Amino acid sequence: MVPFGTDETIRRIVSAYSGMLLRLACTRLDSTADAEDAVQEAFLRLLTARPVFRDPEHEKAWLIRTTLQRASDIRRRAEQRNIPLEDITEPMAPESPGEELRSAVQALPEKYGAVIHLHYYEGYSIKEIAKLLGLPAATVGTRLARGRERLRQMLKEDVV
Amino acid sequence: MNREDYRNAFDELSFSADFEARTADLLRNRARELEKERTNMTIRKTKKIAVLIAACIALLAVSVSAAMLWLSPAQVAEEYDQPLLAEAFKGPGAISINETVESGDFSITLLGLVSGRDLDVLNPDLEMDHTYSVLALRRLDGTPLENETFDFGSYTMTPLVAGCSPVAVNNWTLDAFAQGFAKDGVYYYLLDTASIEMFADRTVYMAFYEGFAPNNNIFTVAGDGSISFAADFTGVHALFTLPLDPAKADRAAADAFVASTGMDGWTNERSEPEGEWDVERHETEDSEEIFLRPRAKDGGEEEIPSPETSGGEPEAGQEGNGQAGSDEPGGFQADTGNGKVILNGLKPAEDITVIENDFTTTGDSGGVVSE
Repeated sequence: MVPFGTDETIRRIVSAYSGMLLRLACTRLDSTADAEDAVQEAFLRLLTARPVFRDPEHEKAWLIRTTLQRASDIRRRAEQRNIPLEDITEPMAPESPGEELRSAVQALPEKYGAVIHLHYYEGYSIKEIAKLLGLPAATVGTRLARGRERLRQMLKEDVV
Repeated sequence: MNREDYRNAFDELSFSADFEARTADLLRNRARELEKERTNMTIRKTKKIAVLIAACIALLAVSVSAAMLWLSPAQVAEEYDQPLLAEAFKGPGAISINETVESGDFSITLLGLVSGRDLDVLNPDLEMDHTYSVLALRRLDGTPLENETFDFGSYTMTPLVAGCSPVAVNNWTLDAFAQGFAKDGVYYYLLDTASIEMFADRTVYMAFYEGFAPNNNIFTVAGDGSISFAADFTGVHALFTLPLDPAKADRAAADAFVASTGMDGWTNERSEPEGEWDVERHETEDSEEIFLRPRAKDGGEEEIPSPETSGGEPEAGQEGNGQAGSDEPGGFQADTGNGKVILNGLKPAEDITVIENDFTTTGDSGGVVSE
């Protein structure tokens, strides 16, 4: 594949993957600004690490994994910041069912959230997710089942 | 919640309207900077090489050594624009190894490693120390390895620890990030894992092999806990013992890490499920379901309960898992390869498996995946 770094490849990759990666990052981050940072960092890493991809699927898998890593780093950094006691307020009730669902996904253990999102939003099968995340299909299946069960408990409704 | 609800929830999100334009500009600027840095580096290197060649010609009237030239670990880090890591590889904390094993068509050289915190400028991790290891691979017949043709994903480079199950301490449980590139016909691996120094009071290995997650088709664990490649493993492989400083060991942290993986079991005995289990295959819309049915002793078939009667998905801690690469707790899991069910590490209990949504296990029985 053409190495990343030319105007043409930058335009192609940013246009092809931004939407998908931004939403994926939002499974770990509740701020869209943070999600944008995570995705930009992933693209920058692509530029500096210069990995060579076998095919577009390999490229996509690399970007997905790197974005998830970046999102986790941003989340961890945020959690480590000291929050003054006076700033701690009661969490606000979600304003819409969509917000409630997103909050539930963000509250899942990270390993479940990514699998749930790739399955429910992107429509990937277990086998495809396994390839994208570099995990055994059995593990993906387990994570999907457990993530679904946790969502069902949090949302108090069936998850199909 | 169904798929439509889910999609609607995430479609509600609104991102900056200029995100793509802004990001493309950022990347273009960074690409230009990198190109400039690389050009400068090449000029500097060319000058250095010219001086070195002149010095060699002046000083060496003897026959030229056939010594192989490698990039150093610091140079490999520089290739990835990691100045802090490059400095660490030059510092007193780095461990230089430079050991070579020849296997199959390859010469495999473990160049060195270094451990520390915040060495990766692209991936600052405030929580934990990491270990970075560099390995070089070249073909014995001199055919250059190239980025375009070398199949990076067919090989695994992973730490292993004597006394710990290979399924408990490996790349997957250590949250590894592997990168590689070819330069001058040599392929370099830079492996980033959680720090392995906590295991330093035991024998710690770095394994490189053709294959994926560690299992008992690849490795054997001796009675004293030492790990070696299985005698009948035919893929490319090399096992290096790492000279870590035992003073840096943290036995409590190491034990806690192994316990946290929930995968401390291992057996060298390989299971042959086809001999004891009946296998049924069913085509589905987008995959294939494989049922493992324990063969009844009287020759008949045991009943497979429905997901409802079996309680559906296993609770955390109930399900087994013996396969590396998964961080689910438990004891056993199955994987497939070329249609054959492979049971890694641990033997399945005499129990029953049910398929649902491509994959399901019941209790602590065997697991089944669809291909």
